[in-house]
Amino acid sequence: MPATQEISENLIRENINRAIGEVFVTMLGRQAELCVLTDQTNCWPPIPVDGQTSQPQIVGTVGFLGDVNGLIYLYLDVSFARIATSHMLGMTEEEIEEAGDEVVNDAIGELTNMTVGCFKNGLSDAGFPCKLTIPTILRGSNFSIEPIAEVQRYIYKFQSAGQCIVTDILIKVGE
Amino acid sequence: MRNKILTVDDSKTVRIIVRKAFKSFDCEILEAANGVEGLAIAAKEMPDLILLDVTMPVMDGVEMLTKIKSDPQLKGIPIMMLTAEGGKDNVLKVAKIGVRDYIVKPFKEDVLIEKAGRIIELKPLTDSKAKARSIFDPATLLVVEDKPAIVQQIQEGLKTSPWKVHGVSTLAEATDFCTKTPPDLIMISLSLPEDAAFTLFRLVRTNVKTKYTPVFGLVVKTDTGSQQQAQTVGFTTVITKPIDVSELESKVAKAMNLDTSQRYFTVESGVLIMRVPENCSTSVTAEISTYLKPKLSEAVDAGHNKAVIDVHLLRSLHMGVIKLLMQAMQTSRDLGVHFTLVGNAHIIAECKGFEDTRTWAFFDTLEEAKASLTKVPAAAPAMANAGT
Repeated sequence: MPATQEISENLIRENINRAIGEVFVTMLGRQAELCVLTDQTNCWPPIPVDGQTSQPQIVGTVGFLGDVNGLIYLYLDVSFARIATSHMLGMTEEEIEEAGDEVVNDAIGELTNMTVGCFKNGLSDAGFPCKLTIPTILRGSNFSIEPIAEVQRYIYKFQSAGQCIVTDILIKVGE
Repeated sequence: MRNKILTVDDSKTVRIIVRKAFKSFDCEILEAANGVEGLAIAAKEMPDLILLDVTMPVMDGVEMLTKIKSDPQLKGIPIMMLTAEGGKDNVLKVAKIGVRDYIVKPFKEDVLIEKAGRIIELKPLTDSKAKARSIFDPATLLVVEDKPAIVQQIQEGLKTSPWKVHGVSTLAEATDFCTKTPPDLIMISLSLPEDAAFTLFRLVRTNVKTKYTPVFGLVVKTDTGSQQQAQTVGFTTVITKPIDVSELESKVAKAMNLDTSQRYFTVESGVLIMRVPENCSTSVTAEISTYLKPKLSEAVDAGHNKAVIDVHLLRSLHMGVIKLLMQAMQTSRDLGVHFTLVGNAHIIAECKGFEDTRTWAFFDTLEEAKASLTKVPAAAPAMANAGT
């Protein structure tokens, strides 16, 4: 049976919830809670703050390849990304401002890397070994990322101290 | 020699976090963004520890690790993986190639330091590079004592100091405190049950953050067995109960390598004032004596050639104080510093009773003493005379 069919939504949800929780507590010193959604489509497009589609966003992406293939997009509001960077690097927000977008991009790339690493390590230990890819970053406002047809998609929304974080998990089917 | 730590990670963020984690330790951080750069720096610098990521462009961490282990010159360098690539199979595969430890991201800086400290000697920067701290700087003292009265006595005795004294009564509380906020000095009661003092001492010395923290033992005078044991295992010193707080304060300052000179020496309106405190114990006279020549020389160097030796707070005269005052006067003469004395009625009367001190002349107040020195020309120091 293809690996994708063996991986339940429950396993995906548990792993991403654990990954976000661990990374946020360890690296940012804050809790993140999974929002209960009755309908996943309510979460799409994954905008950081409800109703404010023009907010600039930063999206970190890391893939995983092996017995299961896919990638995860981590959506953050740019202002929250700056706060997260400041906490991770022990820099003031003024210093972050001075250092420029590149520093924030790198920090969010690493935050995504840790989150996806934690997620896929759970899959590996559940019998689906895979490896990480190098992170990439996308920035902008009012954009959407459309997957190709042959993927299983799981979108989860998290709240952390009034900030919204969205994970968009795409897993390739038919392998 | 400073330890060199090479961090190999394509994420600048991780390299900054590593640098930040080790900033309070005497070590040099080298950086590489991939395996190729990492190998080149390792061969050139021969680091004492390599922190290695797995997923990197150009050359990944597994390839770099394999190359290092097959290089006779580099294979001895300890390597610790620091990567988001966890999972049992991955860890086992990498461990087989040969690594000293494996940290899966996300990671806490404390964990990184603790694990690195098990591989290399991490010396806090305060031991070698940091400037000397002063007696007026804040510090945290931890007292591990199951008798609240003793903790209270120490807190009360040191309340005029800028030091915060925290009391805990058990081994668990003490280790918890040391992990969260490593203190500047620890005092442990040697009479804690089940040899807890010695267990705690071992834990303190194996924790990289408290490895060099001074540790005092607190014990009753008659318990010579515990005193001897404490000295043998390496306690900084032993304080006997009942505690002489001024003696304790002096020993704490010495153990923390604090600059206490400002307590005894100040410069006011171009005049160096040397103040002898109310209780002038042996350790206090020794402390003042150590600073005497450097402080007088410093004053002369700064263009001050006048000094007041102020003993008006002193309660009683003893040989130690007499020797100290004679040393102060002789050093002043040697350096061409004009000096006067200030004393109280009791001390002045006591001085009349000794052959060496009967000729000493005192002023009653600091202001009078300073005023007498205004007649002395500022830039032309001459041989001084005691008093007027």
